Amino acid sequence: MYSLLFKSFFRTKIFLVSLVLLLTVGVISILIGKQYLVKQEKTIAAAQVFQEESIKKNVDYHSEDLGLLLYYLRFTLIKKPQNINAISIGQSDVNPLLQAVTIRGLEAQKYDTDFENPSLLMSGNLDLGFVIIYLFPLVLIAMTFNLYSEEKELGTWRILAAQTSGKAKFLFKKLLVRILFVFAVLIFLMFLASAMLQIPMNANFWAIFIQSVLYVMFWSALCFWMVTLLKNSSFNALALISIWVVLTILIPALVNNYVINAYQVPEALDAMVEQRDGYHEKWDLEKDATMTEFIKAYPQYKNYPVPEDEFSWIWYYGMQFMGDFAAKETSAEMTEKIMLRNTASEKIALFVPTMHSQLSFNSLAGTDMLSHLDFLKSLTEFHKNLREGFYTKIFDHKSANAVDWKKHEAKFYEQDYSFSWLKLLLPTLLITFIIGILAGLNLRKL
Amino acid sequence: MRKNVIQLLARQLWQDAFRSKVMLIASALMLCLLLFSAYSGWENYHDQNFTRDEIQDEVEESWENNPDKHPHRMAHYGSFALRLKHVLSVFDMGMENFVGNAVFLEAHKQNTVNFSEASMSTGLLRFGEVSLAMLLKVIVPLLIFYLGFGTIARERENGTLKLLIGQGITRKEIVFGKWLGLWSLSLVFLGAIFLVLLLFVLVESHDSMHTDSLLRYVVLLVAYLLFFGILSAITILVSAFSATAKGALVKLLGIWLLFVIIVPKSLQAMGFYLYPTPSKIEMETAVEHDLAEIGDSHDPNDPHFKAMKDSVLRVHNVENVEDLPFNYGGFVMSQGEAMSTKIYLKHQEDLYEVYGKQNNLERYSAFINPYTAIKNLSMAFSGTDFQSFLHFKDEAETYRFKLAQDMNQLQMDLIPNKGKEGPNTISSDYWKEFPPFEYHFLSISDVFKNELISLLALVLWGGLAILGLLRLSTNLKAI
Repeated sequence: MYSLLFKSFFRTKIFLVSLVLLLTVGVISILIGKQYLVKQEKTIAAAQVFQEESIKKNVDYHSEDLGLLLYYLRFTLIKKPQNINAISIGQSDVNPLLQAVTIRGLEAQKYDTDFENPSLLMSGNLDLGFVIIYLFPLVLIAMTFNLYSEEKELGTWRILAAQTSGKAKFLFKKLLVRILFVFAVLIFLMFLASAMLQIPMNANFWAIFIQSVLYVMFWSALCFWMVTLLKNSSFNALALISIWVVLTILIPALVNNYVINAYQVPEALDAMVEQRDGYHEKWDLEKDATMTEFIKAYPQYKNYPVPEDEFSWIWYYGMQFMGDFAAKETSAEMTEKIMLRNTASEKIALFVPTMHSQLSFNSLAGTDMLSHLDFLKSLTEFHKNLREGFYTKIFDHKSANAVDWKKHEAKFYEQDYSFSWLKLLLPTLLITFIIGILAGLNLRKL
Repeated sequence: MRKNVIQLLARQLWQDAFRSKVMLIASALMLCLLLFSAYSGWENYHDQNFTRDEIQDEVEESWENNPDKHPHRMAHYGSFALRLKHVLSVFDMGMENFVGNAVFLEAHKQNTVNFSEASMSTGLLRFGEVSLAMLLKVIVPLLIFYLGFGTIARERENGTLKLLIGQGITRKEIVFGKWLGLWSLSLVFLGAIFLVLLLFVLVESHDSMHTDSLLRYVVLLVAYLLFFGILSAITILVSAFSATAKGALVKLLGIWLLFVIIVPKSLQAMGFYLYPTPSKIEMETAVEHDLAEIGDSHDPNDPHFKAMKDSVLRVHNVENVEDLPFNYGGFVMSQGEAMSTKIYLKHQEDLYEVYGKQNNLERYSAFINPYTAIKNLSMAFSGTDFQSFLHFKDEAETYRFKLAQDMNQLQMDLIPNKGKEGPNTISSDYWKEFPPFEYHFLSISDVFKNELISLLALVLWGGLAILGLLRLSTNLKAI
């Protein structure tokens, strides 16, 4: 029975079209992921060379004055990319994977972006995640929308009904053949991606894998349910494509609009201005205005002299510190707002499998908003350590020789890839289950 | 062609449409979406512009309130340029949320435009955004296909097409009647959306902006009218050339997918693949390298800067820089600023050229995909395309350069050379005199120039559609 069903399926035009479409676009998406990784690697290599050379050059020029030298020097923190990023590029094209910062005020440097073509950002990356979320359901729809109706419309259903013992079973088997084919392609593409992009088969890879399988199951159940309504072909096509449009375009976009409007982030702009003013106004104030606060944060420097009529590095870096200090609260509020956006999106996504898949792909691949916020947090820490490491030497008027520059190569930030299986799998599983039951109930009426 | 027959056929299509559930559900859905997107677009436009306006004023105020000081401190104090949204961004958000909103303008340094909405968003942004234009670009075309796939195919299946022809109605009348019916049906949605938009344009634009906004509005309206006409023609043609209504529907859905999602996205990806761009750090290294080639202002023995010094001294016939009639530090700074800006802009131009190449692949596809044409036109005339952003960036950079150079000039003119008598600060009146940053949108003639290709493609498609319909009028198969 199955071999016959497979044979008849393989003879259909839609089978060939789907196979070619999924494989070509799938391979292209993997290549795009590959290119993305190559670009990242190139950028990182360039940043490492840049830092080393700029330290060497500047140390030559300003060896006598460490304060001036550190005015120029930039230190890089790199969000170490993992190959799994390439499956779901997510937000990592908007948010840079590395930041090169001086020990001056951080707030003005923290949000500097890399160059990206906004047209490309707008149309989004054609990564494997996109192929799974958008194209796989379409192929499923194309293969199953007339599963029953075609037989009915061609008049073959009566003959079939007379010849087979279980009509429902027959329909189910026909569907199974198509679903199995889609799964075969999906699994093939996943392993191909793993091989071509050299993604280790760790928990995150399997999580994306299983989430994809569940996601395709969800669509299979949905298509099956539509078939069991026993409507005509045009209705099925229309209804399924409408559902697809609603789930992959309308609802996520509506939610996005809602979230952006509900949690606006004027704090971002405020913090930027506060930081500048917090630093610059100190030039025109008594030096005490700077030093009191600075000493409060760093009491160990309270005995350093700050001459009133003369420039001194402790005062200068104190002012820089004050810039960040002035923007601290607003900046924290901004982060808070972004977190709220994320939480709201995630909560709504629990009920919408397309959104849930996209968000969980991103978070499993380490390309979501939260991982970027985490990177920024660790950049703040990195900046703090740098400053504190240099402060004493600068304030003691040490020369550049006092620093072991070899230790200051570009640093890597290790990303946290942990996740919860339950939160990942349960939503899609439940929804699929419910739709499956509804379809099963309909089938009994056949 | 008889006018009343065509009207009759068109009216019949309307009646059929309103009798089916599709139109009912679609209209209800569209109404909800329209209300939502009009509301959220307006809110976003208003809140964002309000915040940005407010901060721009704040920035100006703090600039003016600076006390007397050395002008170079003011060059470092710098300013901010905040991007304002055009009122038509309520209609089409375009790249609005993918480009930055604020840039810090300071001496010696070109900063990136930061804080794009995208950089503060979750991954959901990748599904797109709902705007009035999105409804017209994505949802309405789908509706046109839904409503029109059966027009001719089903009549043929039912045998009514043969009857119509038998009754003396010409094929041309059938084709154009159906086409006009479908087109006018799509204009219901177009009309509703543009009515809401007109309200926004009239409420928001002030005096000088009024004509410009209205002109942009009219161009958008005409472009969408044409676009829907083309889509209706495609629907009629596909319906006529399909054996069954189901076949026509499947074909049309395929066309929609190709037009709206697959072709634009893959071409954009291909452009990126073919023309890789350097990262920021690579470009910065290149800029530094070029600057070092010319000379190093830190090195007292650098040939370039030494030669400059010597020639300045010679011209003014003095021995030492201290004896020059102007502040030499300010002079070096202004020379350095001009030089580094020139080099930076050159590299940036190269980068944008690559972007241009990446985008052209999709841009030129307008000749095979009318959707691309309307997409680009819609963004451009709503002031939310890449060119509009570049225009903002250029204006901000021009302002930055002027700010730095004016401060350098003040230093040259008013600050005495080292060792000379005189104050080291100048009056704060000079800050108050310096004009604030004010953004002016791209002129409409420039927008026309930028979008010549899209306009041409859309007109060509219009011609092609009419030609197709005329051809169909002669060889429409009745059975």
